[in-house]
Amino acid sequence: MSFPNPATSVKLVLLGEAAVGKSSLVLRFVSNDFQENKEPTIGAAFLTQKCTIGERTIKYEIWDTAGQERFALLAPMYYRNAQAALVVYDITKPASFIKARHWVKELHEQASKDITIALVGNKFDLVEDDEEDSLRKVSVEEGQNLAEEEGLLFFETSAKTSYNVNEVFIGIGSKIPDSSANQPEAIRENNQGRIDLTSNNASGGSSGSGDCAC
Amino acid sequence: MSFFESLRDKAVATITQVLDKKEEVKLTKDELFCKEYNLPDGETILSESAAEVGVKSSHNKDAYKNIPFPQGRVYATQHFLVFRDLFDHRNCCFTIHLLSVKKVERLPSRDYGFALTITTHSQISVTLYLIGLRSDSEKFAQTLKVILKKNLSNINKFQIFLKTCYSEYLLAKNQISNEKIDSPPNGGLGLEFKFPGNAKDSKDKSKMKLWFDLFRVDGRNLSLIKTPMFYKLVRVGLPNRLRGEIWELCCGSMYLRLADQTEYEKLLSQNMHKKSIAIEEIEKDLNRSLPEYSGYQSPIGIERLRRVLTAFSWKNPEIGYCQAMNIVVAALLIYMSEEQAFWTLNLLCDKIVPGYYSKTMYGTLLDQRVFESLVQSTLPMIWEHVEKNDIQLSVVSLPWFLSLYLTSMPLVFAFRIIDIFFLQGAKTLFQVGLAILKVNGEELLKTNDDGTFISIIKEYFNTLDQSAHPNSPNPKFRNITKFQELLVTAFKEFSIINDEMINKHRLKYRDSIFQNISSFVKRTEIRNLPKLANIDQATLSIIYDRFYAFVESYNVTLGSGSSLMDFKAFKRFMNDICDWIDNRDHQGAGVTTDDFLRRLFDNWDVEGAGFISLSDLVIGLNKLVEKDLMTSISNFFELYDVRKLGRIDREGILQVSEDLLCITSPWKDGILFDRITDGLISQTALNEQKKNPDFEGEIIIDRLKFEHQQIERYLSGASTFIQRAFEYAQPVEEEILIQDLVMDNKISHNAALNPNTPVFVNLPTFRMVVLADETYELFFSKTFRKSIHLDKPLDSKFDSIRNLRSMFDGLLADGRKVARVVRDRVDVAANNVLHNNEDNSSMKSSKSKVHEEEEERDDDFGVISINEADKDLLLGAEAQVLTDPVHPGSGANRDLKRLHQENGNVPDSERKDEKGEIKNLIEFDNS
Ligand SMILES: Nc1nc2c(ncn2[C@@H]2O[C@H](COP(=O)(O)OP(=O)(O)OP(=O)(O)O)[C@@H](O)[C@H]2O)c(=O)[nH]1
Ligand SMILES: [Mg+2]
Repeated sequence: MSFPNPATSVKLVLLGEAAVGKSSLVLRFVSNDFQENKEPTIGAAFLTQKCTIGERTIKYEIWDTAGQERFALLAPMYYRNAQAALVVYDITKPASFIKARHWVKELHEQASKDITIALVGNKFDLVEDDEEDSLRKVSVEEGQNLAEEEGLLFFETSAKTSYNVNEVFIGIGSKIPDSSANQPEAIRENNQGRIDLTSNNASGGSSGSGDCAC
Repeated sequence: MSFFESLRDKAVATITQVLDKKEEVKLTKDELFCKEYNLPDGETILSESAAEVGVKSSHNKDAYKNIPFPQGRVYATQHFLVFRDLFDHRNCCFTIHLLSVKKVERLPSRDYGFALTITTHSQISVTLYLIGLRSDSEKFAQTLKVILKKNLSNINKFQIFLKTCYSEYLLAKNQISNEKIDSPPNGGLGLEFKFPGNAKDSKDKSKMKLWFDLFRVDGRNLSLIKTPMFYKLVRVGLPNRLRGEIWELCCGSMYLRLADQTEYEKLLSQNMHKKSIAIEEIEKDLNRSLPEYSGYQSPIGIERLRRVLTAFSWKNPEIGYCQAMNIVVAALLIYMSEEQAFWTLNLLCDKIVPGYYSKTMYGTLLDQRVFESLVQSTLPMIWEHVEKNDIQLSVVSLPWFLSLYLTSMPLVFAFRIIDIFFLQGAKTLFQVGLAILKVNGEELLKTNDDGTFISIIKEYFNTLDQSAHPNSPNPKFRNITKFQELLVTAFKEFSIINDEMINKHRLKYRDSIFQNISSFVKRTEIRNLPKLANIDQATLSIIYDRFYAFVESYNVTLGSGSSLMDFKAFKRFMNDICDWIDNRDHQGAGVTTDDFLRRLFDNWDVEGAGFISLSDLVIGLNKLVEKDLMTSISNFFELYDVRKLGRIDREGILQVSEDLLCITSPWKDGILFDRITDGLISQTALNEQKKNPDFEGEIIIDRLKFEHQQIERYLSGASTFIQRAFEYAQPVEEEILIQDLVMDNKISHNAALNPNTPVFVNLPTFRMVVLADETYELFFSKTFRKSIHLDKPLDSKFDSIRNLRSMFDGLLADGRKVARVVRDRVDVAANNVLHNNEDNSSMKSSKSKVHEEEEERDDDFGVISINEADKDLLLGAEAQVLTDPVHPGSGANRDLKRLHQENGNVPDSERKDEKGEIKNLIEFDNS
C-alpha cells in the first residue's frame, strides 16, 4: 500500500462531573502538560490533536465540556455527531461515578448509535501509594462492571502523572471503525484513498504511548 | 366550576393575551424608571416636574462643562432625587440619594417662578428651577420636604456608608471634604496583591487625578452629577483604586449596599457550618478561579471568594452557584470589597444578565440565540460562512457572555470592557462580540472548521495589545492597538445594537428556548426515574406532564421553585385520571374517596414530609395499576398495614371496607359496568340474536335490570367482605395479650369473642377474603386498574398552560423580585449595626510584593498637578471615538441661559449668606 496515511477525523466529546479532570486529561494528551489549579471550563472548549495508531493517523477533534450539572443542558450541542466520548469520573468521588452512569445513559439514548464510549476513572495518582485504599471511593470492579454492562472501554488514568492517558485515546482510536470516521465533516475528501487499517491494529489500550504522535 | 378550573381558565386567558400580542409584559412607569436609573426595586415616582438645573460647587474654578442650565425633568422617589436632561440624557443627569442632601433652600424669585437650591454633603449645590404651575411646584417642594424628613432616620447609615467609599477617603486625605476618614476603606485584593496590568501604562495616576477633579466639581458616590466628562472617564478605563466604587455606582449596586448594611454579614453568620450542594460546588472551584493572580494563591483571596459566593448562594437558593460566577466574583474582588462584590453579584444576576447563572441557564441560552441572530443580521457574510461550514458559534461566544470576557482575553482588557458593561448594561457584551467577529472577519471567512475558527480568535485575544495597523506608514495609525480598534468597532459601528433591539430578539426566541429547556429537563428527569413494570415510557411522559401541570409552584424552565406535589395537587392529579373519585362536597360527613387518597398519599410520601416527588408518584402509581392479582391485593393490604407488622387491626379492617365501599361507588351505583356485567350484557345480546336470527335493528337491553344486578352484587360483595374479614380475623397473640392483661390487671378468658378484643387479619387471610368474592376479585384484578387512566392524554389546553405558564413566569421573573426585596427590607430594618470587616488588619502582610515603582498610594492630589500631555492623551483619541457626539446646546438651551443671566438668580456663595437670614425660606436643613 503506497498511500500515505490520510488523517481520519474523529469527533470526541468529554463528559463528566465538574472537576474530575476532563480538561486536564485533554491538556495532558494535547500538550503533555498539567496544571494544579485548572479553571473550570465555561461552556465548552475545543482542541485538536493527531494520534498515530499503527499505520493509521487519527485527528481528534476534542470537545471538552463543562461539568457542572446545570451545564448539562448545553451538552447535546457538543455531543451531536460525536463518534467517540470519554465519560470521566474521579475515583475518589463516588458522586462523580453516579454522574458517569447518567452520562452513559444519556449518550446511549441521544448520541449517534455507533458512538464509541470509554469510561475513564481519573486521578489514579491519588490512590497509587495509598496502601489502605482509604482515598479510593470507586473500585476498579465497579468501573469494570459498568463498562461491561454498557459495552464501554474502561481505563483508570492520571492526568497528573500521565498514567494511561494516551492509552485512552489509542484505545478509542483502535475501536473506531474507519468507515464511520470523517462523517461529521461532510467533506469526505480522501475517501477513495482511505484504506481500512482497523484489522491491523492491536485492540485495547495496550500499545505504548510512543505510538502516539503527541 | 371548581376553584382550580376557574384559576386555570383565568391563567389561560392571561397567557393567551400575553402571547398573542407577542409583547413583553408591560413594565409600569415606575419599573421602567427604576430600570433606567438603576434604582432599587420598589422606588416609585412620588412627584415630578419640568426643571432646569444650575450646578455649582465650591471647587468649580476649573470646571470643564459649559452647559450651565440644562433643561429636563426632575423626579422625587422615596429615596432619590433624579434629574435627566432633555438633550440626550447624557449631558447632565443625576441620581442624588436623599441621605446626602444637607440642605434645601427656596430661592426668592421674582418673575421666574419657583426655585430650590439643594446642597449635598459633597458640597455641591444644585438649583432646580421648577417650570410649571406655581401650585404644582409647591406640591413638588412639599413632597420633597416630606421624604427628606422620612430619610432623616437613616442618617446613621449614610455616615457609616461614606467611610466605605474610596472617593470620600481620597478627598478627605486631600482636605477637600470635612469627613474624617483616617484609613482607606476596605477595598479589593489589588490594594494588597497589586492590580493586574501596569499602572504606568494605563496612566492610572492621571486618571485618578481626573476623577479627583471630577469629584470635587460634580460630587461623588451618592450625589454625583453625571456630565459627559463622567462617561468619558469611564470609557478610557477606570483607575485601579476607584474602579470598584465606580462600578457599583454605574450599575446601582451601591444603593443596595447602602440599604442593607448588615445583610452580608448576617447571611454568613446565620448559615455558618451549613451544608448545601452549592457549597460543595463552590469548594471545588475556589482554587480554580483566576489561579494565576497572586491574591488567589493566598488564603486571604480564597477566603473572600468563598465568603461572597456562599453568602450569595444562601441569599439566592434558586440560583445557588454556577461555574463562571467564581471567575466573575474573583475578578470583582480584585477591585471591590467583599460587600461591594456581593451586592454587585446580586444585581448582576437579578438585573443585568438575568438567567445567565440560573439552574437551567435560560438567559445564557437565550442570549446565545440572540447573538447568533444579530450576527446573521449585521454580519451576513460571516453568518453564512459559519452556517455553511457547520461551525458552532456558541462554543466561541458562550464563554464571552457567561464570564463577561474575563476568561477570553487578558484581564486588563476584560476589565476595560467590564467598565463599560457596568455603565451600559448587557448590550455591551453583544457589541463587543460582534466587533470581535467583524475585526477578524477576513481571517474567519477562510476557515472551514471549528478548530481554526477558535484558534484565530484565541490568537487575536493574545495580541490585543499589538498594533492594529503595524504596516501603516502613518505613525498615528501604527499606534492604535487592536484593543482600541475593537472598542471603536464595538461602540461606534455596533452602536445600533441597543437594549430595545436586544429585548425584541429575546422575546422572539424565548418560546423556542423555553421549549428546548422543557424537553431537555423532561427527558433527563424521566430517564432518572426508577424502572417500572407496569408503566411504559410513553405513559411516563404523560404522567410527567400532568405532574408538573398540577404542581403549580414549579417552573421547569426557570429551574426554580418546588418540584414536589402536595396533597391538594395530588388530589387534582388523581381526579383527572381516576373514574372513582367523588368530587361532591360532603361537608365533612362520612368517609369519602378523600380518605383513600390521603392513605395513598401518606403511603407514597416515604419521608412523611407532606410532599411527594415525581419519583414517589410513579412508584406509587405503578403499584396501583399492578397487573398481578396477588401483588395487587398485597399492595392494597400494605396501605393499611401502616406500621408494617404484616397485619391490619380491627380499625383497619373497618377502614378497608369503608374505603372499598367508596372507591367501588361508580360500579356500586350502577354508573359504570364491570366485566361481569359487560359479560352478562353481551351474553344476553347474543341470546337475543340467537332467538331471533333475522332480527335487524337495535336489540333492546334493559339497562336498569343489569344496573340493579350489579348494584346488588357490589353491596353483597361489601357485606361479605366485612363479614368474612371478622370471621377469619385472629386474636392478637396470647403472649402480648397476657402481658396487656397483666398490666391492666383485668382478666378476660374469652378474648376472641369480645368486640373490644384486639384482632387482626394478616395478608393470607386478607387475600382469601378478597378472593372469596367474585366481584371483589375482579375488582382487584381488573376493574380498579382499568379505572385509572394513566395514559389519558393531558388536556391539550392544559398542556399548553404548563409550558406557557412557565414562560409567563419567566417573563415576570426577569430581574424582578419585588416581593422578596420587601421581605428582606423588613428583616433588615431592625438591626442597623455595621460589622466592620476584620480582614483589613490581616491584609497588610504581603505589601512587599508591590513594586515601589508602581506604588501609587500617594493620592495627594492637592499638590500634584496632572500632566497636560497625559490628559490630552487620555481624553483625546480613544475617548473621543468612544463618546457619544456632544452637540452644542440647542436653541432653547441658549435662550434659557440668557434668561438666567438676565434674572441674575444664579445662586452663588455670597447670595447664599444673605438668604440664610430669611429663615422661613429654609425648606430643609440637615447640617
Ligand atoms: N491529583 C490529581 N488531580 C487532578 C488530576 N486531573 C485533574 N486534577 C485536578 O483536578 C482539578 C479539576 O481539573 P479539571 O481538568 O479542570 O476538571 P474538569 O473535569 O475539566 O472540570 P470542569 O471543567 O469544571 O468540568 C484541577 O485542580 C486539576 O489540577 C489527576 O489526575 N490527579
Ligand atoms: Mg474542564
